[in-house]
Amino acid sequence: MRLRLIRGLLLLPLLAAAPLGAQEVAPAKVARSIERIFGGHPRVDTVLAGQARVLRIHTGDAVAGFAQVRNVIGKDQPITFLVAIDSTGVLKDVDVLVYREPYGGEVAYEAWRKQFRGKGPDAPLTVGRDIRNISGATISSHAVTQGVRQALADLSAWRAQGLLR
Amino acid sequence: MHQCRRPASLLALSLLLPAVAAAQSIADLPLKENRVTVGGYGEVHYTNASGTGAPGRITVKRFVIYLANAFTDRLTLRSEVEWEDAKVEGGKAGGEISVEQLFLDYRFSDAFTLRTGLLLAPIGIVNETHEPPTFNGVDRPSFDQDVIPTTWRELGIGAAGRLPGVSGFAYRLYLLNGIRAAGFDAEQGIRGGRQEGQDASFTNPSLTGRVEYARPGLKVGAAFWYGGSADQNPAIGTGTFAAPVAMLAADARYEIGGLSLRAVVANVHIADAALINQAYGKQVGSRIAGGYIEGAYDVLHLLAPASPQYLAAFARYERYNTQAGVPAAITADPALARRITTVGLTYKPIGGIAFKADYQLRRSRAALGSVDVVSLGVGYQF
Repeated sequence: MRLRLIRGLLLLPLLAAAPLGAQEVAPAKVARSIERIFGGHPRVDTVLAGQARVLRIHTGDAVAGFAQVRNVIGKDQPITFLVAIDSTGVLKDVDVLVYREPYGGEVAYEAWRKQFRGKGPDAPLTVGRDIRNISGATISSHAVTQGVRQALADLSAWRAQGLLR
Repeated sequence: MHQCRRPASLLALSLLLPAVAAAQSIADLPLKENRVTVGGYGEVHYTNASGTGAPGRITVKRFVIYLANAFTDRLTLRSEVEWEDAKVEGGKAGGEISVEQLFLDYRFSDAFTLRTGLLLAPIGIVNETHEPPTFNGVDRPSFDQDVIPTTWRELGIGAAGRLPGVSGFAYRLYLLNGIRAAGFDAEQGIRGGRQEGQDASFTNPSLTGRVEYARPGLKVGAAFWYGGSADQNPAIGTGTFAAPVAMLAADARYEIGGLSLRAVVANVHIADAALINQAYGKQVGSRIAGGYIEGAYDVLHLLAPASPQYLAAFARYERYNTQAGVPAAITADPALARRITTVGLTYKPIGGIAFKADYQLRRSRAALGSVDVVSLGVGYQF
Protein backbone atom coordinates (compact mmCIF):
# COMPACT_ATOMS: atom_id res chain seq x y z
CA MET A 1 0.00 0.00 0.00
CA ARG A 2 2.76 2.36 1.04
CA LEU A 3 4.82 1.40 -1.98
CA ARG A 4 1.88 1.97 -4.26
CA LEU A 5 1.46 5.47 -2.86
CA ILE A 6 5.13 6.22 -3.36
CA ARG A 7 5.06 4.93 -6.91
CA GLY A 8 1.98 6.95 -7.66
CA LEU A 9 3.62 10.09 -6.38
CA LEU A 10 6.76 9.38 -8.31
CA LEU A 11 5.54 8.41 -11.73
CA LEU A 12 3.75 11.59 -12.65
CA PRO A 13 6.73 13.94 -12.75
CA LEU A 14 9.24 11.33 -13.85
CA LEU A 15 7.34 10.10 -16.89
CA ALA A 16 7.85 13.49 -18.43
CA ALA A 17 11.54 13.64 -17.58
CA ALA A 18 14.52 13.52 -19.91
CA PRO A 19 16.27 10.23 -20.73
CA LEU A 20 16.65 8.27 -17.54
CA GLY A 21 19.70 6.33 -18.57
CA ALA A 22 22.22 9.12 -19.10
CA GLN A 23 25.40 7.78 -17.58
CA GLU A 24 28.68 9.48 -18.12
CA VAL A 25 29.88 13.00 -17.59
CA ALA A 26 28.82 15.27 -20.38
CA PRO A 27 31.96 16.17 -22.37
CA ALA A 28 30.74 19.77 -22.38
CA LYS A 29 30.99 19.77 -18.60
CA VAL A 30 34.61 18.59 -18.76
CA ALA A 31 35.38 21.15 -21.45
CA ARG A 32 33.87 23.95 -19.39
CA SER A 33 35.87 22.86 -16.37
CA ILE A 34 39.12 22.88 -18.35
CA GLU A 35 38.31 26.24 -19.81
CA ARG A 36 37.55 27.64 -16.37
CA ILE A 37 40.75 26.27 -14.88
CA PHE A 38 43.19 27.14 -17.67
CA GLY A 39 41.51 30.24 -19.08
CA GLY A 40 42.20 31.63 -22.52
CA HIS A 41 41.42 29.32 -25.43
CA PRO A 42 42.67 25.92 -24.39
CA ARG A 43 43.18 23.11 -26.88
CA VAL A 44 43.01 19.56 -25.63
CA ASP A 45 44.49 16.32 -26.85
CA THR A 46 45.27 13.12 -25.06
CA VAL A 47 48.49 11.39 -24.12
CA LEU A 48 48.92 7.82 -22.97
CA ALA A 49 50.56 7.05 -19.65
CA GLY A 50 50.65 3.30 -19.65
CA GLN A 51 46.98 2.27 -19.68
CA ALA A 52 45.75 5.67 -18.58
CA ARG A 53 44.64 8.49 -20.83
CA VAL A 54 45.53 11.95 -19.67
CA LEU A 55 44.14 15.16 -21.11
CA ARG A 56 46.90 17.50 -22.27
CA ILE A 57 45.98 21.16 -22.35
CA HIS A 58 47.68 23.71 -24.61
CA THR A 59 47.15 27.43 -24.42
CA GLY A 60 48.80 29.17 -27.36
CA ASP A 61 51.80 27.09 -28.40
CA ALA A 62 52.78 25.90 -24.97
CA VAL A 63 51.61 22.97 -22.87
CA ALA A 64 49.72 24.56 -20.01
CA GLY A 65 49.12 21.40 -18.04
CA PHE A 66 47.40 18.05 -17.75
CA ALA A 67 44.10 16.84 -16.37
CA GLN A 68 42.32 13.62 -15.56
CA VAL A 69 38.72 12.74 -14.80
CA ARG A 70 38.26 10.10 -12.14
CA ASN A 71 35.67 8.55 -9.88
CA VAL A 72 35.92 7.90 -6.19
CA ILE A 73 33.23 6.22 -4.10
CA GLY A 74 31.62 8.47 -1.49
CA LYS A 75 29.14 6.85 0.89
CA ASP A 76 27.88 4.57 -1.83
CA GLN A 77 27.91 6.40 -5.15
CA PRO A 78 30.81 7.46 -7.38
CA ILE A 79 31.86 11.09 -7.18
CA THR A 80 33.23 12.19 -10.57
CA PHE A 81 35.98 14.77 -10.28
CA LEU A 82 38.63 16.39 -12.42
CA VAL A 83 42.18 17.08 -11.27
CA ALA A 84 44.36 19.52 -13.23
CA ILE A 85 48.07 20.18 -12.84
CA ASP A 86 50.13 22.87 -14.52
CA SER A 87 53.19 22.16 -16.65
CA THR A 88 55.44 22.14 -13.56
CA GLY A 89 53.38 19.49 -11.83
CA VAL A 90 51.69 21.75 -9.28
CA LEU A 91 47.99 21.12 -8.69
CA LYS A 92 46.08 23.83 -10.48
CA ASP A 93 42.52 23.04 -9.44
CA VAL A 94 39.97 20.36 -8.69
CA ASP A 95 36.42 20.27 -10.00
CA VAL A 96 33.57 18.05 -8.81
CA LEU A 97 31.79 17.21 -12.07
CA VAL A 98 29.03 14.89 -10.87
CA TYR A 99 27.87 14.43 -7.30
CA ARG A 100 25.21 11.78 -6.86
CA GLU A 101 24.41 11.41 -3.16
CA PRO A 102 21.79 13.17 -1.04
CA TYR A 103 24.22 14.51 1.56
CA GLY A 104 27.80 15.74 1.26
CA GLY A 105 27.59 17.74 -1.98
CA GLU A 106 29.40 20.59 -0.22
CA VAL A 107 32.67 19.21 -1.62
CA ALA A 108 31.70 20.89 -4.90
CA TYR A 109 31.81 24.35 -3.31
CA GLU A 110 34.69 26.50 -4.46
CA ALA A 111 35.54 27.45 -0.88
CA TRP A 112 36.34 23.80 -0.20
CA ARG A 113 37.95 22.89 -3.53
CA LYS A 114 40.31 25.83 -3.54
CA GLN A 115 42.21 24.29 -0.61
CA PHE A 116 43.86 22.01 -3.18
CA ARG A 117 45.24 24.78 -5.38
CA GLY A 118 49.02 25.06 -5.42
CA LYS A 119 49.60 21.69 -3.74
CA GLY A 120 52.72 19.84 -4.84
CA PRO A 121 53.33 16.11 -4.92
CA ASP A 122 54.80 16.25 -1.40
CA ALA A 123 51.70 17.75 0.25
CA PRO A 124 50.04 15.40 2.75
CA LEU A 125 46.56 16.02 1.25
CA THR A 126 44.86 14.68 4.33
CA VAL A 127 41.62 15.84 5.92
CA GLY A 128 42.39 17.31 9.34
CA ARG A 129 45.93 18.25 8.34
CA ASP A 130 46.19 20.44 5.23
CA ILE A 131 42.57 20.02 4.10
CA ARG A 132 39.68 21.11 6.30
CA ASN A 133 36.60 18.99 6.64
CA ILE A 134 33.08 20.20 5.96
CA SER A 135 30.68 19.20 8.73
CA GLY A 136 28.02 16.87 7.43
CA ALA A 137 30.16 16.03 4.39
CA THR A 138 32.87 14.10 6.21
CA ILE A 139 32.73 10.95 4.10
CA SER A 140 32.78 12.91 0.84
CA SER A 141 35.56 15.21 2.10
CA HIS A 142 37.74 12.20 2.87
CA ALA A 143 36.84 10.41 -0.36
CA VAL A 144 37.57 13.34 -2.68
CA THR A 145 40.76 14.23 -0.80
CA GLN A 146 41.99 10.67 -1.09
CA GLY A 147 41.04 10.59 -4.78
CA VAL A 148 42.88 13.83 -5.48
CA ARG A 149 45.93 12.59 -3.56
CA GLN A 150 46.02 9.44 -5.69
CA ALA A 151 45.51 11.36 -8.94
CA LEU A 152 48.25 13.84 -8.08
CA ALA A 153 50.60 11.01 -7.14
CA ASP A 154 49.93 9.23 -10.46
CA LEU A 155 50.29 12.39 -12.55
CA SER A 156 53.54 13.23 -10.73
CA ALA A 157 54.91 9.74 -11.28
CA TRP A 158 54.04 9.85 -15.00
CA ARG A 159 55.70 13.26 -15.27
CA ALA A 160 58.83 11.91 -13.60
CA GLN A 161 58.86 9.01 -16.09
CA GLY A 162 58.70 11.50 -18.94
CA LEU A 163 55.30 10.26 -20.07
CA LEU A 164 53.61 13.66 -19.77
CA ARG A 165 55.23 16.23 -22.00
CA MET B 1 34.76 43.12 -23.08
CA HIS B 2 32.71 40.40 -21.59
CA GLN B 3 30.43 40.30 -24.61
CA CYS B 4 33.42 39.94 -26.92
CA ARG B 5 34.73 36.96 -25.01
CA ARG B 6 31.53 35.04 -25.20
CA PRO B 7 31.62 33.87 -28.85
CA ALA B 8 35.33 33.15 -28.59
CA SER B 9 34.86 30.92 -25.59
CA LEU B 10 31.95 29.14 -27.26
CA LEU B 11 34.22 28.49 -30.22
CA ALA B 12 36.93 27.17 -27.93
CA LEU B 13 34.36 24.96 -26.27
CA SER B 14 33.30 23.46 -29.56
CA LEU B 15 36.93 22.75 -30.44
CA LEU B 16 37.47 21.22 -27.03
CA LEU B 17 34.50 18.93 -27.11
CA PRO B 18 35.55 16.21 -29.55
CA ALA B 19 38.94 15.76 -27.92
CA VAL B 20 37.45 15.69 -24.47
CA ALA B 21 34.77 13.27 -25.59
CA ALA B 22 37.39 10.95 -27.07
CA ALA B 23 39.40 11.03 -23.89
CA GLN B 24 36.32 10.60 -21.73
CA SER B 25 35.19 7.35 -23.18
CA ILE B 26 38.38 5.70 -21.98
CA ALA B 27 38.74 7.35 -18.61
CA ASP B 28 37.85 5.16 -15.65
CA LEU B 29 34.24 6.06 -16.11
CA PRO B 30 32.14 3.12 -17.19
CA LEU B 31 29.44 3.29 -14.54
CA LYS B 32 27.21 0.28 -14.55
CA GLU B 33 23.50 0.73 -14.17
CA ASN B 34 21.77 -0.89 -11.22
CA ARG B 35 24.53 -0.27 -8.75
CA VAL B 36 23.33 -1.95 -5.57
CA THR B 37 24.98 -0.88 -2.36
CA VAL B 38 24.59 -2.27 1.11
CA GLY B 39 25.50 -0.44 4.28
CA GLY B 40 24.36 -0.10 7.82
CA TYR B 41 24.87 1.20 11.28
CA GLY B 42 24.22 0.02 14.77
CA GLU B 43 24.85 0.72 18.41
CA VAL B 44 24.92 -1.18 21.68
CA HIS B 45 24.25 0.83 24.84
CA TYR B 46 24.92 0.13 28.49
CA THR B 47 23.24 2.60 30.85
CA ASN B 48 23.17 2.78 34.61
CA ALA B 49 21.08 5.46 36.29
CA SER B 50 21.50 6.41 39.95
CA GLY B 51 19.00 5.32 42.57
CA THR B 52 17.56 1.98 43.63
CA GLY B 53 15.18 0.31 41.23
CA ALA B 54 17.35 1.40 38.31
CA PRO B 55 19.75 -1.44 37.61
CA GLY B 56 22.22 -1.28 34.73
CA ARG B 57 20.72 -2.14 31.37
CA ILE B 58 22.39 -3.21 28.17
CA THR B 59 20.68 -3.39 24.82
CA VAL B 60 21.23 -3.50 21.09
CA LYS B 61 19.77 -0.04 20.82
CA ARG B 62 19.71 0.05 17.03
CA PHE B 63 20.60 -2.27 14.19
CA VAL B 64 20.03 -0.71 10.79
CA ILE B 65 20.45 -2.10 7.30
CA TYR B 66 20.92 0.39 4.50
CA LEU B 67 20.12 -0.75 1.00
CA ALA B 68 20.38 1.45 -2.08
CA ASN B 69 20.10 0.95 -5.79
CA ALA B 70 21.10 3.36 -8.53
CA PHE B 71 18.66 2.35 -11.28
CA THR B 72 20.42 4.86 -13.51
CA ASP B 73 23.00 7.50 -12.88
CA ARG B 74 20.22 9.92 -11.97
CA LEU B 75 17.52 7.74 -10.42
CA THR B 76 18.30 6.21 -7.05
CA LEU B 77 16.35 4.41 -4.36
CA ARG B 78 17.60 4.51 -0.78
CA SER B 79 16.23 2.62 2.20
CA GLU B 80 16.94 1.93 5.84
CA VAL B 81 15.32 -0.75 7.94
CA GLU B 82 15.78 -0.49 11.67
CA TRP B 83 15.51 -2.92 14.54
CA GLU B 84 15.36 -1.37 17.99
CA ASP B 85 16.23 -3.33 21.12
CA ALA B 86 17.27 -6.45 19.27
CA LYS B 87 13.97 -8.30 18.88
CA VAL B 88 10.25 -8.03 18.52
CA GLU B 89 8.04 -10.80 19.83
CA GLY B 90 4.33 -11.18 19.30
CA GLY B 91 2.25 -10.16 22.30
CA LYS B 92 5.23 -8.76 24.21
CA ALA B 93 6.19 -5.18 24.83
CA GLY B 94 9.48 -3.72 23.67
CA GLY B 95 11.41 -3.76 20.46
CA GLU B 96 10.48 -2.22 17.17
CA ILE B 97 11.07 -2.87 13.51
CA SER B 98 10.53 0.02 11.19
CA VAL B 99 11.33 1.42 7.78
CA GLU B 100 13.31 4.47 8.75
CA GLN B 101 13.84 5.89 5.27
CA LEU B 102 12.58 4.86 1.85
CA PHE B 103 12.90 7.40 -0.90
CA LEU B 104 13.51 7.82 -4.60
CA ASP B 105 15.73 10.60 -5.88
CA TYR B 106 15.74 11.83 -9.43
CA ARG B 107 18.65 14.20 -9.97
CA PHE B 108 17.74 16.73 -12.66
CA SER B 109 20.68 19.00 -11.84
CA ASP B 110 22.85 20.09 -8.95
CA ALA B 111 20.16 22.61 -8.08
CA PHE B 112 17.19 20.26 -8.24
CA THR B 113 16.73 16.71 -7.10
CA LEU B 114 13.15 15.50 -6.98
CA ARG B 115 12.67 13.36 -3.88
CA THR B 116 9.69 11.27 -2.86
CA GLY B 117 8.93 8.63 -0.27
CA LEU B 118 9.53 8.37 3.46
CA LEU B 119 11.72 11.42 4.11
CA LEU B 120 13.66 12.73 7.10
CA ALA B 121 12.57 16.14 8.33
CA PRO B 122 15.62 18.36 7.63
CA ILE B 123 15.57 19.91 11.11
CA GLY B 124 18.51 20.22 13.49
CA ILE B 125 21.66 18.12 13.11
CA VAL B 126 20.92 14.62 14.39
CA ASN B 127 17.66 13.94 12.56
CA GLU B 128 19.35 13.68 9.16
CA THR B 129 22.82 12.66 10.33
CA HIS B 130 22.26 10.10 13.06
CA GLU B 131 24.84 7.37 12.53
CA PRO B 132 26.52 6.68 15.89
CA PRO B 133 30.07 7.78 14.90
CA THR B 134 28.72 11.19 13.86
CA PHE B 135 27.68 12.38 17.34
CA ASN B 136 29.20 12.44 20.80
CA GLY B 137 27.60 10.68 23.72
CA VAL B 138 26.26 7.15 23.90
CA ASP B 139 22.70 8.26 23.29
CA ARG B 140 21.53 11.09 21.08
CA PRO B 141 20.96 14.38 22.90
CA SER B 142 17.70 14.30 24.88
CA PHE B 143 16.77 17.51 23.07
CA ASP B 144 16.78 15.42 19.89
CA GLN B 145 14.19 13.20 21.52
CA ASP B 146 11.83 15.58 23.30
CA VAL B 147 11.96 18.75 21.17
CA ILE B 148 13.08 17.59 17.71
CA PRO B 149 11.58 14.10 17.72
CA THR B 150 14.33 12.12 15.99
CA THR B 151 14.28 10.06 13.92
CA TRP B 152 11.48 12.16 12.45
CA ARG B 153 10.34 10.86 9.07
CA GLU B 154 7.07 11.24 7.19
CA LEU B 155 5.74 10.51 3.71
CA GLY B 156 5.70 13.02 0.91
CA ILE B 157 7.48 14.71 -1.93
CA GLY B 158 9.96 17.53 -2.29
CA ALA B 159 13.08 19.02 -3.72
CA ALA B 160 16.71 19.32 -2.66
CA GLY B 161 19.84 20.82 -4.14
CA ARG B 162 22.30 23.64 -4.11
CA LEU B 163 21.01 27.17 -4.47
CA PRO B 164 22.14 28.20 -7.94
CA GLY B 165 24.26 31.29 -8.30
CA VAL B 166 25.45 31.49 -4.68
CA SER B 167 28.20 29.06 -3.80
CA GLY B 168 27.89 27.55 -0.36
CA PHE B 169 24.11 27.38 0.00
CA ALA B 170 21.90 24.29 -0.16
CA TYR B 171 18.20 23.74 0.46
CA ARG B 172 15.57 21.08 1.03
CA LEU B 173 11.83 21.65 0.79
CA TYR B 174 9.28 18.89 1.37
CA LEU B 175 5.51 18.51 1.44
CA LEU B 176 4.78 15.76 3.98
CA ASN B 177 1.83 14.30 5.83
CA GLY B 178 0.94 16.15 9.00
CA ILE B 179 1.42 14.95 12.54
CA ARG B 180 -1.49 14.04 14.84
CA ALA B 181 -2.34 16.05 17.93
CA ALA B 182 -3.85 12.94 19.50
CA GLY B 183 -0.31 11.73 20.21
CA PHE B 184 1.07 14.92 21.80
CA ASP B 185 1.90 14.98 25.49
CA ALA B 186 3.52 17.15 28.12
CA GLU B 187 6.83 15.28 28.49
CA GLN B 188 7.78 14.74 24.86
CA GLY B 189 5.77 17.41 23.09
CA ILE B 190 4.94 16.45 19.52
CA ARG B 191 6.94 13.20 19.52
CA GLY B 192 3.93 10.90 19.85
CA GLY B 193 2.22 12.70 16.97
CA ARG B 194 4.59 11.40 14.32
CA GLN B 195 3.08 8.99 11.84
CA GLU B 196 6.37 7.52 10.54
CA GLY B 197 4.97 6.19 7.31
CA GLN B 198 2.47 3.79 8.88
CA ASP B 199 -0.89 4.12 7.16
CA ALA B 200 -0.53 7.85 7.66
CA SER B 201 -3.40 10.30 7.57
CA PHE B 202 -2.93 13.00 4.97
CA THR B 203 -5.81 15.07 6.31
CA ASN B 204 -3.42 17.83 7.29
CA PRO B 205 -0.34 18.32 5.15
CA SER B 206 2.88 19.83 6.44
CA LEU B 207 5.62 21.85 4.84
CA THR B 208 9.17 21.54 6.05
CA GLY B 209 12.39 22.91 4.72
CA ARG B 210 15.92 23.95 5.36
CA VAL B 211 18.52 26.35 4.04
CA GLU B 212 22.12 25.82 4.98
CA TYR B 213 25.43 27.48 4.34
CA ALA B 214 28.73 25.63 4.41
CA ARG B 215 32.39 26.39 3.99
CA PRO B 216 35.46 24.50 5.21
CA GLY B 217 35.03 23.90 8.92
CA LEU B 218 31.61 25.56 9.15
CA LYS B 219 28.00 24.67 8.56
CA VAL B 220 24.99 26.68 9.68
CA GLY B 221 21.38 25.87 8.93
CA ALA B 222 17.89 27.21 9.49
CA ALA B 223 14.83 24.99 9.26
CA PHE B 224 11.09 25.09 9.71
CA TRP B 225 8.05 22.84 9.99
CA TYR B 226 4.52 24.06 9.50
CA GLY B 227 1.53 21.79 9.38
CA GLY B 228 -1.88 20.99 10.74
CA SER B 229 -2.42 18.32 13.39
CA ALA B 230 -6.22 18.13 13.89
CA ASP B 231 -6.57 14.94 11.86
CA GLN B 232 -10.34 15.03 11.34
CA ASN B 233 -11.17 15.93 14.91
CA PRO B 234 -13.48 18.95 14.49
CA ALA B 235 -13.23 19.63 18.24
CA ILE B 236 -9.73 21.01 17.68
CA GLY B 237 -10.29 22.56 14.29
CA THR B 238 -11.15 22.10 10.65
CA GLY B 239 -9.32 23.11 7.52
CA THR B 240 -6.00 22.27 5.90
CA PHE B 241 -3.78 23.64 8.63
CA ALA B 242 -6.11 23.10 11.57
CA ALA B 243 -4.34 23.01 14.96
CA PRO B 244 -1.08 24.15 13.38
CA VAL B 245 2.30 23.12 14.69
CA ALA B 246 4.97 25.68 13.79
CA MET B 247 8.60 24.90 14.43
CA LEU B 248 11.63 27.07 13.77
CA ALA B 249 15.11 25.74 14.36
CA ALA B 250 18.70 26.75 13.76
CA ASP B 251 21.92 24.79 14.00
CA ALA B 252 25.64 25.36 13.64
CA ARG B 253 28.73 23.17 13.46
CA TYR B 254 32.26 24.49 13.54
CA GLU B 255 35.55 22.61 13.44
CA ILE B 256 39.01 24.08 13.80
CA GLY B 257 42.12 22.08 14.59
CA GLY B 258 41.12 19.45 17.11
CA LEU B 259 38.13 21.44 18.33
CA SER B 260 34.54 20.86 17.23
CA LEU B 261 31.57 22.86 18.39
CA ARG B 262 27.90 22.39 17.67
CA ALA B 263 24.73 24.10 18.77
CA VAL B 264 21.04 23.67 18.02
CA VAL B 265 18.03 25.71 19.08
CA ALA B 266 14.36 25.17 18.33
CA ASN B 267 11.03 26.71 19.12
CA VAL B 268 7.72 24.92 18.63
CA HIS B 269 4.45 26.80 18.78
CA ILE B 270 1.19 24.91 19.24
CA ALA B 271 -1.46 27.60 18.99
CA ASP B 272 -4.40 25.36 19.85
CA ALA B 273 -2.83 23.56 22.80
CA ALA B 274 -5.84 24.38 24.97
CA LEU B 275 -8.25 22.65 22.57
CA ILE B 276 -5.89 19.70 22.16
CA ASN B 277 -5.65 19.25 25.93
CA GLN B 278 -9.41 19.47 26.26
CA ALA B 279 -9.98 16.89 23.53
CA TYR B 280 -7.40 14.34 24.68
CA GLY B 281 -7.02 15.04 28.41
CA LYS B 282 -3.37 16.05 28.12
CA GLN B 283 -1.13 18.83 29.41
CA VAL B 284 0.53 19.77 26.14
CA GLY B 285 2.51 23.02 26.24
CA SER B 286 1.60 25.80 23.85
CA ARG B 287 5.30 26.45 23.37
CA ILE B 288 8.20 23.99 23.44
CA ALA B 289 11.64 25.54 23.32
CA GLY B 290 15.29 25.05 24.06
CA GLY B 291 18.59 23.94 22.68
CA TYR B 292 22.04 22.64 23.40
CA ILE B 293 25.66 23.53 22.94
CA GLU B 294 28.49 21.05 22.76
CA GLY B 295 32.24 21.26 22.53
CA ALA B 296 34.67 18.43 21.86
CA TYR B 297 38.42 18.34 21.62
CA ASP B 298 40.36 15.61 19.84
CA VAL B 299 43.41 15.15 22.06
CA LEU B 300 45.17 13.06 19.41
CA HIS B 301 45.18 16.12 17.17
CA LEU B 302 47.60 17.59 19.69
CA LEU B 303 49.45 14.48 20.89
CA ALA B 304 49.72 12.46 17.67
CA PRO B 305 48.87 14.71 14.74
CA ALA B 306 49.78 12.08 12.16
CA SER B 307 47.39 9.54 13.67
CA PRO B 308 44.15 8.80 11.79
CA GLN B 309 42.57 7.86 15.13
CA TYR B 310 40.31 10.14 17.11
CA LEU B 311 39.97 10.50 20.86
CA ALA B 312 37.82 13.37 21.99
CA ALA B 313 36.65 14.63 25.33
CA PHE B 314 33.35 16.41 25.09
CA ALA B 315 30.87 18.35 27.17
CA ARG B 316 27.29 19.18 26.27
CA TYR B 317 24.73 21.33 28.00
CA GLU B 318 21.06 20.96 27.10
CA ARG B 319 18.35 23.26 28.34
CA TYR B 320 14.80 22.86 27.14
CA ASN B 321 11.25 22.94 28.32
CA THR B 322 8.33 21.07 26.75
CA GLN B 323 6.04 23.47 28.62
CA ALA B 324 7.88 26.72 27.94
CA GLY B 325 4.42 28.13 27.44
CA VAL B 326 1.14 26.62 28.63
CA PRO B 327 -2.49 27.41 27.91
CA ALA B 328 -4.36 29.29 30.66
CA ALA B 329 -6.09 26.18 31.97
CA ILE B 330 -2.95 24.34 33.14
CA THR B 331 0.03 25.05 35.37
CA ALA B 332 3.49 24.40 33.99
CA ASP B 333 5.29 21.46 35.58
CA PRO B 334 8.79 22.63 36.63
CA ALA B 335 10.10 19.06 36.16
CA LEU B 336 9.69 19.55 32.41
CA ALA B 337 12.15 22.48 32.38
CA ARG B 338 15.16 20.24 31.87
CA ARG B 339 18.87 20.99 32.25
CA ILE B 340 21.10 18.14 31.22
CA THR B 341 24.87 18.18 31.42
CA THR B 342 26.83 15.42 29.71
CA VAL B 343 30.59 14.89 29.74
CA GLY B 344 32.37 11.99 28.14
CA LEU B 345 34.81 10.48 25.71
CA THR B 346 34.52 9.34 22.11
CA TYR B 347 37.23 7.07 20.69
CA LYS B 348 37.29 6.27 17.00
CA PRO B 349 40.08 3.87 15.95
CA ILE B 350 38.82 4.46 12.40
CA GLY B 351 36.11 6.76 11.14
CA GLY B 352 33.39 4.10 11.03
CA ILE B 353 33.61 2.84 14.62
CA ALA B 354 33.08 4.75 17.85
CA PHE B 355 33.54 3.63 21.44
CA LYS B 356 31.80 5.99 23.83
CA ALA B 357 31.55 6.64 27.54
CA ASP B 358 29.71 9.42 29.26
CA TYR B 359 28.35 10.73 32.52
CA GLN B 360 25.08 12.61 32.51
CA LEU B 361 23.56 14.82 35.16
CA ARG B 362 19.84 15.28 34.56
CA ARG B 363 18.22 18.10 36.47
CA SER B 364 15.13 20.24 36.15
CA ARG B 365 13.71 23.43 37.53
CA ALA B 366 11.78 21.35 40.10
CA ALA B 367 13.52 21.14 43.47
CA LEU B 368 13.44 17.36 43.38
CA GLY B 369 17.15 16.63 43.15
CA SER B 370 18.75 15.07 40.13
CA VAL B 371 19.43 11.81 38.38
CA ASP B 372 22.84 10.86 37.14
CA VAL B 373 23.44 8.29 34.46
CA VAL B 374 26.61 6.50 33.42
CA SER B 375 26.61 5.10 29.89
CA LEU B 376 28.96 3.04 27.77
CA GLY B 377 28.43 2.28 24.13
CA VAL B 378 29.84 1.16 20.86
CA GLY B 379 28.54 2.12 17.44
CA TYR B 380 29.51 1.63 13.82
CA GLN B 381 28.58 2.63 10.32
CA PHE B 382 29.67 1.44 6.92
